[in-house]
Amino acid sequence: MSRVSVPCHVKGTVALQVGDVRTSQGRPGVLVIDVTFPSVAPFELQEIMFKNYYTAFLSIRVRQHTSPHTPAKWVTCLRDYCLMPDPHSEEGAQEYVSLFKHQSPSMTFPKWLSHPVPCEQPAPLIEGLPDPSRVSSEVQQMWALTEMIRASHTSTRIGRFDVDGCYDLNLLSYT
Amino acid sequence: MLQEESDLSLVIAQIVQKLKGSNLYAQLERQAWASLQRPEIKLESLKEDIKEFFKISGWEKKLQNAVYSELSVFPLPSHPAAPPEHLKEPLVYMRKAQGSWEKRILKSLNSMCTELSIPLARKRPVGEQKELLNKWNEMGTDEPDLSLFRPVYAPKDFLEVLINLRNPNYENGDSLSFRTHLGLIQVPLKVKDIPELKEFFVELGLTTGQLGIDDSTQVPPELFENEHVRIGQKVLAEQDSAAAQQYIRQGSPTALRAELWALILNISSQPEDILYYEQLKTNVIQHDLLVDSLIYKDVKLTASNDDYYFVFEDYLYQVLLCFSRDTSVLGHFAYNSASPPKSYIRGKLGLEEYAVFYPPNGVIPFHGFSMYVAPLCFLYHEPSKLYQIFREMYVRFFFRLHSISSHPSGIVSLCLLFETLLQTYLPQLFYHLREIGAQPLRISFKWMVRAFSGYLATDQLLLLWDRILGYNSLEILAARAYCQLL
Repeated sequence: MSRVSVPCHVKGTVALQVGDVRTSQGRPGVLVIDVTFPSVAPFELQEIMFKNYYTAFLSIRVRQHTSPHTPAKWVTCLRDYCLMPDPHSEEGAQEYVSLFKHQSPSMTFPKWLSHPVPCEQPAPLIEGLPDPSRVSSEVQQMWALTEMIRASHTSTRIGRFDVDGCYDLNLLSYT
Repeated sequence: MLQEESDLSLVIAQIVQKLKGSNLYAQLERQAWASLQRPEIKLESLKEDIKEFFKISGWEKKLQNAVYSELSVFPLPSHPAAPPEHLKEPLVYMRKAQGSWEKRILKSLNSMCTELSIPLARKRPVGEQKELLNKWNEMGTDEPDLSLFRPVYAPKDFLEVLINLRNPNYENGDSLSFRTHLGLIQVPLKVKDIPELKEFFVELGLTTGQLGIDDSTQVPPELFENEHVRIGQKVLAEQDSAAAQQYIRQGSPTALRAELWALILNISSQPEDILYYEQLKTNVIQHDLLVDSLIYKDVKLTASNDDYYFVFEDYLYQVLLCFSRDTSVLGHFAYNSASPPKSYIRGKLGLEEYAVFYPPNGVIPFHGFSMYVAPLCFLYHEPSKLYQIFREMYVRFFFRLHSISSHPSGIVSLCLLFETLLQTYLPQLFYHLREIGAQPLRISFKWMVRAFSGYLATDQLLLLWDRILGYNSLEILAARAYCQLL
């Protein structure tokens, strides 16, 4: 089961503000980022990965078409997921984050995004019951990675600091 | 659940890879082969029998100690997308500040080099090598002319850099509020408050016995001291690093301290270690480094003038000169925000195959650096063991005291912790000191940067360093600095 990154278009942030947007006082604490998927081919979204920059809480909402005849509706997949335990300090401020499908109990994706037909939807949609075959394949992947690392060369240093016995140096470099 | 499993797999893989290159791995392999001779090892149950043998013979404990050591030192694997610099330091502005600071140090060293017309490194002629070898044990008797050398930087220069650290995304605003920080450090790192400190340092509570307090002459030893010593001896007999670390939180009896520290730091003097130290000594004999003069100057200025430590002057040279040649220290830069200075062999500028680090261990000593080694001389008298202990203390703890990072044990966090404690719990003293122009951090900074070496009597200092080892954290230094002002 290979994973590829899905091309997506990330729009600029829009501040949610009450009243006149122009005033510089009253800085909004909530910003919205729109993400659209230009490709029309259906795919199964497994993971969302990003680098944080001082966002404390994250909510994800997805627009879902249930059937071709009813209008699309917005579904909340993740609400107030905490990225920074203390928003006034640096903890988590610039961390790399991954959000997985199984993390959200109601992490459903619109029909046009996921490939299988609704009746074949995997069990992660039901809270607390991950799909056994998916779990075992993920664990197998991890162990394959572990074995690969184990088989690779060790990282001990040999101890030489010179080059062929010579340690006659220029001045120190500024990189 | 799945994320935790894959995190655990990564940690295991990382530790296995690290240990595979160690002496312990080779020893375990040899022991496993040798054990095949033993009657209790049966072919049908080979794996289980060897495991049982390891358990009984104490090798399993050695492996446990090695794993525990790796877990204590190396940070957990981070997100797969995180680049190596993120592991060194996650905040970009701190990385940049550390880079600028390093550039200043390099410029200073380069200008010293050109002004004094002394090369960074020089191969010693054979005569000079012989001479140095002969007086290896008494290098302190040498009185070289060091008047032209000056330390690359002093702690107060470093403090100025920390004071000017700013997070570009943080706006303090002009109006004062309860969040305004009145101290010198202006970056919003997370530091523990007193309830959190109480929980973290729970073994230092009033109801728990402590060496240094409850073993004083007025207190009958049956109440605490005797039992504590007995437990210490048991911990040493078990040779369990984790138990030793837990035990030492209440302080170590003087007689047991050297062994306990070695157990916690997972140092055992194997023949390979002694050979390695001898190799470093050979490197010192063969090449003379500009950094050596800085070390000499530092020892002469600090430790030699100290009533407690001047007797150890020769040991200090034997440790610090070898330390500069030790390329195994380069490994700690993976989790240190600092980076080792780089240079090229003369005439091969820009050619990567002729790129080298300078000094070989990547650490440029500053004014007071030798004071990290001095207290250890009270505990260890065999040079290679003293060397190993110091090296491990440096790559676990001391490097954090002179590099800019957001780590909770980094000097920036310690300064902020100190100032926050003072501002919160002794606001009147804090305000008064500010008013008379004596910002408290300017007084306590030098104590913390040196981990109080040279500022406390040795018995007090060693009890403090017991807790650094016990809690695997330098936060005790900030708490101690705060207590000093109480």
